[in-house]
Amino acid sequence: MKRPQRLWLYFVLTIAAAAWLLPMYVMLSTSLKTPREVALGQYITPPHSLEINNYLVAFGVLKQGLLNSVVVAIPATALAVFLGSWAGFFLAMFRFRHSQTVFFVASVATFLPYQIILIPFTQFMAALNLFNTQWGLIVAYLLLNVPMAALISATFFQMLPVELQEAAALDGCGPVTFYFRILLPVAQLGLVSTTILIFTMIWNEFLIAITLTQGPYTQMATPVLAGLKGNYAQLWHIQMAGAMITSIPPLIIFIFLGRYFIAGLMAGTLKG
Amino acid sequence: MRYTRAHIILFLTPLSLVVLFMYAMMLWTAYVSMNNWVGMAPSWDFNGLANYITLFRMERFWINLQNNILWMVIFIPPTAFLGLVLAYALELSGRAEAIFRPIFLYPMALSFVVTGTLWAWMYDPGTGVINSLLKGVGLGALAQPWIASPKQALYCMIGAAIWQYTGFAMTLYLAAIRDISREIIEASRVDGANDLQVFTYIVVPNVQHATMIVVAMLTLFSLKVFDLVWVMTMGGPGNSTEVLSYFMFVATFRQQLVGIGAAISVIILVLAVLVVIPYASWSMKRMQV
Repeated sequence: MKRPQRLWLYFVLTIAAAAWLLPMYVMLSTSLKTPREVALGQYITPPHSLEINNYLVAFGVLKQGLLNSVVVAIPATALAVFLGSWAGFFLAMFRFRHSQTVFFVASVATFLPYQIILIPFTQFMAALNLFNTQWGLIVAYLLLNVPMAALISATFFQMLPVELQEAAALDGCGPVTFYFRILLPVAQLGLVSTTILIFTMIWNEFLIAITLTQGPYTQMATPVLAGLKGNYAQLWHIQMAGAMITSIPPLIIFIFLGRYFIAGLMAGTLKG
Repeated sequence: MRYTRAHIILFLTPLSLVVLFMYAMMLWTAYVSMNNWVGMAPSWDFNGLANYITLFRMERFWINLQNNILWMVIFIPPTAFLGLVLAYALELSGRAEAIFRPIFLYPMALSFVVTGTLWAWMYDPGTGVINSLLKGVGLGALAQPWIASPKQALYCMIGAAIWQYTGFAMTLYLAAIRDISREIIEASRVDGANDLQVFTYIVVPNVQHATMIVVAMLTLFSLKVFDLVWVMTMGGPGNSTEVLSYFMFVATFRQQLVGIGAAISVIILVLAVLVVIPYASWSMKRMQV
């Protein structure tokens, strides 16, 4: 069969791709321009020379925030994925009374906007003396992401072949051994996807970060970047350099582990 | 595999505690909303529905609610439609898909704070990218105040969100298009259907479940949008871009009207429940959990 000529297709895709890349392009090129170049307003022109100094200035401001983001996001992600997949495994593999109820109640809790618990959450953190501390942020993100991690990992574990479970049962393997010895090594797609998605969400999160912390010592990167917008108003080259720096971890994940990121994103909608 | 009651307890206790804790917090919020609590320290002074009545009498509340509704109405259809068209184009494009797909999806990896910073500049009336580009190609007459105009700012912000979320819709639609049986599409091709006819008569009717997911997720996003508002406009000019979650934050943590803030939270909760409960039951049926 003759392949149809699809000029419209490449037309639509190219125009759309150009529109989607333009913001990223101007962000990157402006982050490398001198203030004089930026003032010309010719944003499409590439930078004459690479003005790395912008990055040094932005990094100087963001440094502590980036460090805090790392210190908070890594343990919170690790614990949330462990506790979440621990339950997700059981929900995906076994049918017992009320297993559906547990799943339903957990998914409702996951999808509801977390703004609605922000007030008691702040009080709770203050009562534990965790307000404005990194521990407070870790606890907050852990609590918010355990149900999400359970649902995403359960979605992946459901796709594992039943034979795996049957073979394990024949060998007299119990659920705990199964989780550590068989599931963790076998279900890597699911676990890596869950980890990556939750890490990215915590890294990018803003509302909890500005509510539970104040001041430069405990703030994560996102509130610092938002502050940069105020302190460096109209200094687009510094703002864009800051935005680039803050985006580096999620963009690296997207570029090198995109398959897992997308799989996690899809599982996070409970797309069966 | 054999499991006992002890296993159920062992595996589900951590999740259950977290989930119970979250529900307890929701109840707590609901109770706070019925107290005249002003200031950061808890003050229990039961006043029934007075906070809600105060809210309903505030013009600001109705503007905010209206903005959330505008978000849903203006954000969701173009995002879903563009996502579907791009997904179909990618499906037809064969190997070019590998190049184009990440281009539409990468904004999903960015923080809203980054998106907000970037797009606040795109839309800046003085030295922003869009106006500079328009002037650069001789269309300076089309330059707009964008984000600085109370009439346009909300739509500008929604534009940034469309940029960020189209790839998400596209990915869901692409998966749905791939689930359509090849035979149906090939049979229609043999019968002489062109790309548009395949799209209209085969693709659109067969991706309804993806539409459900996209609409549910984007509705929830529209209900909780906060970061973009904070970074791009702080709710302004005036309160033209304020939404409920922004008002909730300002009322609670800036004006310290905690009771009022809790009442706004409860209203967001009620609106979200209308979407979340049907969605969760629907997707559980599909997953056959």
